Amino acid sequence: MTKYKSRLHKGMMDWLLFGAMAGLVLLGALCIMSAVNAVSLSNAVVRTHLIALPLGFVAFFAAWSFNYQIFDEQWKPLYGVILALLIGVLLFGTYQRGSKSWFVFPFFSMQPAEICRVLTILAAAAFLDRQGHRIRDMRTLVWLGVLIAPVFGLIMLQPDFSSIVITFPALLVLLYCAGVNVFYLALVFAFAAVAGFFTVAWTYLYLHPELLDYRLLDVFFKLSDHILYMGGFVLLVAVAGYAAWWLFKQLRVFLPSFYFVLATLVVLAGFFAGVFVDHQMKPYQRKRVEAFLAPESDPQGASYNVLQAQIAMGSGGILGKGLFSGTQSRLGFVPEKHTDFILAVVGEELGLWGTLLVLGLYLVILWRVAVVAYTASDRYGYLVCSGIFGMFLTYMLINFGMLIGLFPVAGIPLPFISYGGSNLVSSMLALGVVQSVYARRITSG
Amino acid sequence: MAAGKVTFNGRLRVLLALAGIAGAVIALRLADIQLLRHDRYLQLAERNRTQVLYQTAPRGRIFTADGKAVAANAPSFDLYYLSAGPKEEDYLRRLAADFAPHLGVTQEDVLDKLQQGVKSGKAVALAENLSPKTAMALKELQLYYPGLYLIEENKRIYPYGIFASHLIGYLGSMEGDEWKNRDQSLDYRLDAKIGKNGLEKKFEKELKGRDGGVFLEVDYRGRVRSVIEDRRWRPGGDIYLTLNFDVQRAAEEGLKNSITGRGAAVALDPRTGAVLALATAPAFDPGMFVPYSDEPQPKSKRISEYNLATQGVYPPASTFKVITAIAAIEQGGFDPEKEVYCPGYYDAGSRVFKCWSVHKHDNFFDGMADSCDVYFYTLAAQTGSAAIEKTQRMFQFGQPTGIDLPGEKAGNLYGPTKRARNRSYWFIGDTLNLSIGQGELLVTPIKMAQFAAALASRGKIWRPYYLDRVVSNQTGKVLQQGKSEVLGTVDIRPSTWDLIYKALKHTVDDGTARRVKIAGLDVYGKTGTAQNPHGDDHGWFMAFAGRPGEEPSLAVAVFVEYGKGGAGAAGPIAREMIKAYFGIEDKPARRPVSAQQAVLENADPAALVSDMQKLQAALQRPDGEHT
Repeated sequence: MTKYKSRLHKGMMDWLLFGAMAGLVLLGALCIMSAVNAVSLSNAVVRTHLIALPLGFVAFFAAWSFNYQIFDEQWKPLYGVILALLIGVLLFGTYQRGSKSWFVFPFFSMQPAEICRVLTILAAAAFLDRQGHRIRDMRTLVWLGVLIAPVFGLIMLQPDFSSIVITFPALLVLLYCAGVNVFYLALVFAFAAVAGFFTVAWTYLYLHPELLDYRLLDVFFKLSDHILYMGGFVLLVAVAGYAAWWLFKQLRVFLPSFYFVLATLVVLAGFFAGVFVDHQMKPYQRKRVEAFLAPESDPQGASYNVLQAQIAMGSGGILGKGLFSGTQSRLGFVPEKHTDFILAVVGEELGLWGTLLVLGLYLVILWRVAVVAYTASDRYGYLVCSGIFGMFLTYMLINFGMLIGLFPVAGIPLPFISYGGSNLVSSMLALGVVQSVYARRITSG
Repeated sequence: MAAGKVTFNGRLRVLLALAGIAGAVIALRLADIQLLRHDRYLQLAERNRTQVLYQTAPRGRIFTADGKAVAANAPSFDLYYLSAGPKEEDYLRRLAADFAPHLGVTQEDVLDKLQQGVKSGKAVALAENLSPKTAMALKELQLYYPGLYLIEENKRIYPYGIFASHLIGYLGSMEGDEWKNRDQSLDYRLDAKIGKNGLEKKFEKELKGRDGGVFLEVDYRGRVRSVIEDRRWRPGGDIYLTLNFDVQRAAEEGLKNSITGRGAAVALDPRTGAVLALATAPAFDPGMFVPYSDEPQPKSKRISEYNLATQGVYPPASTFKVITAIAAIEQGGFDPEKEVYCPGYYDAGSRVFKCWSVHKHDNFFDGMADSCDVYFYTLAAQTGSAAIEKTQRMFQFGQPTGIDLPGEKAGNLYGPTKRARNRSYWFIGDTLNLSIGQGELLVTPIKMAQFAAALASRGKIWRPYYLDRVVSNQTGKVLQQGKSEVLGTVDIRPSTWDLIYKALKHTVDDGTARRVKIAGLDVYGKTGTAQNPHGDDHGWFMAFAGRPGEEPSLAVAVFVEYGKGGAGAAGPIAREMIKAYFGIEDKPARRPVSAQQAVLENADPAALVSDMQKLQAALQRPDGEHT
């Protein structure tokens, strides 16, 4: 093990990255205290957060001092740990809010999906590192899919869609940076798009049964649960794929027939993924999609949350109402104010400067992670940083996007700021790994 | 891994650039929400967190020209329970038992509301719009029950009941589209009372004022956290009318006590066109729409909104003889001393037109004073109908007076030109009918007042106005100022006016309008009895008066529906109005029991015998009669 030991000394830490993280964490702690309206430290939320905070720093420093290359070496046991955690939570976990995502211990509880997200990125990066020489081969992609599918499957069984909403784009970023053929990536993207399209369209019809009077829409809606209609659809797509191939052949445009098969398969896979998600969706999740599609239709319902959050931010103005003085959050108008909607608290109490500060610190983190990626001493370091970059980018886009009305409400926290011990610890762990890459940018033997 | 620098592809740099762009988009949108929409969102946030116990502002008062407030405000009270106080079931029960009798509701109702308040944590109104008497009792009880809050509001009162009710209007709750179309700048509440008619409606914006209130901070479930602000109300602007309190009062009393209690009386200042009285009967008490909640409620709220003074049209009858006379004099060759023999009828060849009496020999002045139909038949036959129609047009008959009130009727001009336009024929009988103000001719009481004012001012057709000024209660600034306006001038010879004045004075001094004769005043007048084929005849009286040697300063028109006669029904009302205006107090006003008695009281003994004969006739067949 001596091989992986390295000496840590001054200059081995990216202080900009550390500073941005520490700033966010500090801001987050203040805003959580304000949001739960308790200056007293006895409040359960504040207490938990103040315990998670040192744990996060421990995780950060541990990951920093640890040579990240060990994850590359030991990616198979790592993968095993991921599966064990996810299976374990299904067996021994506790139901909270309709999903089995929590290990509850006497003094604390944890959400394994959070730490698994970081571990999955580490494992996937290791796999891609090994496939470096044939990264443009489609088999690499297929094998990675085979590797990731059980992880996603187990998470779906909890179910915890919001976890996948972050992990999937993060993996796409990782694949892109690893140098995967953009055409294949486009296929993966198309798969997600097809699955998403069916899910959204069905949800919309589900919430507007009057539209089913149109024959065509009725048939479309039945695709989701009639085996006969499904079969018909599969046949239709297959015929369409063949027809396209035939047409291109007639036009003397020669493309490998293999592309058409692939496209057909992707559409079908997307369709079935859509069917699966559609069957797993809970009414409240449908409501969220609905609220996003037509926010004005139901001002007291699901979009009420986003509206109240925007009222909170907007009423803060430039300078904000001051910490502990936000009426929207203090009086309970903003829902989930210390978790998913913490930005609303920042916006209300610290104003535009507060939200821009958070946004700025996030951009600093992304910038530093990218810089570290390019200074990494090996390909694995680059890939790990890319994956973590993708993860924070997704968090930032979705959480900010949700507040400003560009994304549906997805129940995604904002790492470092939001309340949530597991998320805080694993996010700080991720940055610790990045620091580890930075510290070892000069090959350490 | 081998030593040395490894190079990586540039794809992460592309993503970093994209992240930068995304960051810029997010920053712009944040600025949009937090800068550009700040005001709107701040308002929404404030609305979220505040619950207001509103206090209705005092509505602006309405004053007569002599400073009497005819619409004012009185305190009213609301009783609130704030759940911040004690919540024990036993306490609530005792509270309900003690308070229910004062609020006029059952103990269960009060307890129900209290429990609602405790459960929801909201402030609940136990009772609203309570009278000061009840509030006094509650204030005492309140000492023993913390958690109760007595809040003062304002309620409209009308100290003089029916006074100018058709002009002032009344208040009511918003209905139908009124809420949707409300003036957003005036912070209306759903249960606000707004003007429904008359001035209350017309000057709603000026009268309303700004409501005050106790602002409570509430959380998202409406639970009260603290009191933020106790905002004082701002009273609305006051309206000053041109009405003369005594004249209006005299008109209303007179109409109310008249033979049918139905009619209208209008008084104008002929020097400005200002309305001194505008009375319609039957009237209503607008106060019945805004009672205290703990007082007996009016059983029926049905009122007559029909403003007879501006919307009722009737033939002017003999008052119109003035027009006929003016037409005849202006045409030239008129000899006022020339006598016409009245045998009690007029032979028009194919038909015989009756006079209401047998007047024997009458010159112009006696013809006017006796209201002899035959005299005016003869005059009209000589003058011709076209000249009479032209004179009507000079006085703007058939047009509204232009008073600023909704729904004013224009009446109807009657004459050969009009008839020809309708492609019909004009007969000599029409001319005779026209000459004594019957037929298709129609006027409103306000039109008659305008006519009287035109005579009094020697030809000025005024637009009657009732608004003197609207004054802001905050700044004392005049928000709106009433103006006098001449709509037209009747351009006739001064000698004509002199003749008319002399004839009308003679009518009062020694004619049908004798009972309006008032010592110390120059009164000019003309009676009229409009024939009504459907029932009793309508009574008209038109007059103007002034102190001797001064120009006339009061013009009056009184109309009593089904009053049987002008002199008997409308005359006494006009007399009281004139006396009220000039402040003349004679022997205690005793309303004549009958027309006969009235004549006996006012007539001089010398004229009594000859008058008796006329009187008998008048009682059987009032003037203006023809078949």
